[in-house]
Amino acid sequence: MSRAFFLLREAVVNLRRNLLVVAGSVLAVFISLALAFGALVVNEILRVNTIAWQEGVHVIAFLKDAGSNGVPSDAHDTLLANVRTWDEVESAGYVDKSEAWIEYQEIFAGQDELLDIDPTILPASIRIELVNIELHPSVEFRLEQQQQVVLKVTTAAEEIEQLQNLSRVLNLLGIGMAIILGLSAMVLIANTIRLAIYARRDEVEIMKLVGASNWFIRIPFLLEGFIEGLVGAAAAVFGVWLSATFLARALQDLALIRFEVANDFFFQWGVLFLVFGATAGVLGSLLGLSRYLRDAEGVGADVPAGVV
Amino acid sequence: MPSGCETSFVPMIRLENVTKVYEGGTIAANDVSIDVQKGEFVFLVGASGSGKSTLIRLMLREEPVTRGKVWVAGKDLTTLPKWKIPYLRRSVGTVFQDYKLLPNKTVAENVAFALEVLGRPKSVIGPQVAQVLDLVGLAEMSQRYPRQLSGGEQQRVSVARAFANRPPIMLCDEPTGNLDPKTSVGIMKLLDRISRTGTTVIMATHDHAIVDAMQRRVVALHEGRVVRDEKVGRYEQGQT
Repeated sequence: MSRAFFLLREAVVNLRRNLLVVAGSVLAVFISLALAFGALVVNEILRVNTIAWQEGVHVIAFLKDAGSNGVPSDAHDTLLANVRTWDEVESAGYVDKSEAWIEYQEIFAGQDELLDIDPTILPASIRIELVNIELHPSVEFRLEQQQQVVLKVTTAAEEIEQLQNLSRVLNLLGIGMAIILGLSAMVLIANTIRLAIYARRDEVEIMKLVGASNWFIRIPFLLEGFIEGLVGAAAAVFGVWLSATFLARALQDLALIRFEVANDFFFQWGVLFLVFGATAGVLGSLLGLSRYLRDAEGVGADVPAGVV
Repeated sequence: MPSGCETSFVPMIRLENVTKVYEGGTIAANDVSIDVQKGEFVFLVGASGSGKSTLIRLMLREEPVTRGKVWVAGKDLTTLPKWKIPYLRRSVGTVFQDYKLLPNKTVAENVAFALEVLGRPKSVIGPQVAQVLDLVGLAEMSQRYPRQLSGGEQQRVSVARAFANRPPIMLCDEPTGNLDPKTSVGIMKLLDRISRTGTTVIMATHDHAIVDAMQRRVVALHEGRVVRDEKVGRYEQGQT
């Protein structure tokens, strides 16, 4: 117990006494993980926005006026009830002529020349949200078969499909960047900690001379790497969260893009990044030490586990 | 190693036909055989490159021998597994010309470190560190860092650390090499006191004055060979 306490104390004292080197290592972890985490957050923003853009009305069927030109007076209700039974349809809503006029007025508010029309020319419509956007051709076809009541069918499906494809590419790019930056982070962290240990190689030699075993030398360095990795990762997660929150607030009036990212996302990925940072710190220390512990005669890798 | 039946004559250190050839073919030790008994004080003398430091390194198992056998404190270093080397080093105190102190530790912490690696409890370490610092005359400087000490004081800390766990053997490689004559005398007095407690001391040096004044065993080396081994010797052969 006293030995474990000694090793922990050694790590803390070394951190305190090598502040500049420690700051360098923490900064390396912070920068590299902030870039990787930032890439993930951007990716998440894209994903959320793509979903948002995909939600809502996918297909609109404009209807002929009921009760005239041979269209039965209950044709709209019948078609709506019918459409709602289709497997491809998630939901369907009815917008009558008066609601269409209200919507028109909202869209063209302030443009008096456009508002100067006969409201009765605006058709009623059925607004349809699909289960899956890729099913739009089937729904379009079925609506077009209802020539007696359907005036025209319009869809934003193709645009949405293009958006989906773009989103897939952006997602892949985002994940790819996060992976590349994560790997770079691992190498950068390991190298920085290696350099830090290089600067202290004389210490390692002296420890060996007085009879310290591999693990006795290693453990404080591993703890230092762990703490440096953890602190750097925590700073990166906090920094990115703070930036994203600030950005979301600053740009909340921007209707086209939503910058809010769920706290759950930050929590789940944040925990993973903390683990990643701490692991990278420990691995960096192990790599950095291996040379000095391997080169010297007698302090080889064949020390049985637990012999400190 | 000589078997247990010759207990009283078992040397603390035995080098038997030891040869060390470095990469590139440099022969640093050539068929060296030396026995050093418990409590002996032995000077290894010779010009630079004669093989003094190599013998010290071989006795610490910092280097493997090319041929021959090395026994230290009853252990055959040529067959000693690597993981046991830290245990060997705990029974050998070492003092070097460049002190080799941990720069980020205080005097007391440097000395304590040698005891920490042995797993001694704090209740033992504290008094033992105080005692050994008192022995080397640095009790008042226990909280200073190495950079705040003179060369002689740093070497005293190094001696204190080497002797902290009362090892049976002390290996000293040019411990006075960086010190002025007056300070060197102080260090030698310290090593002499330690030797008188029964500790075997082997000291590599080319300090004529010290060797001549101490009147101890002298092993002279030349190009890796032992050219002289006198029980009470001087630095140069034939001096009076």
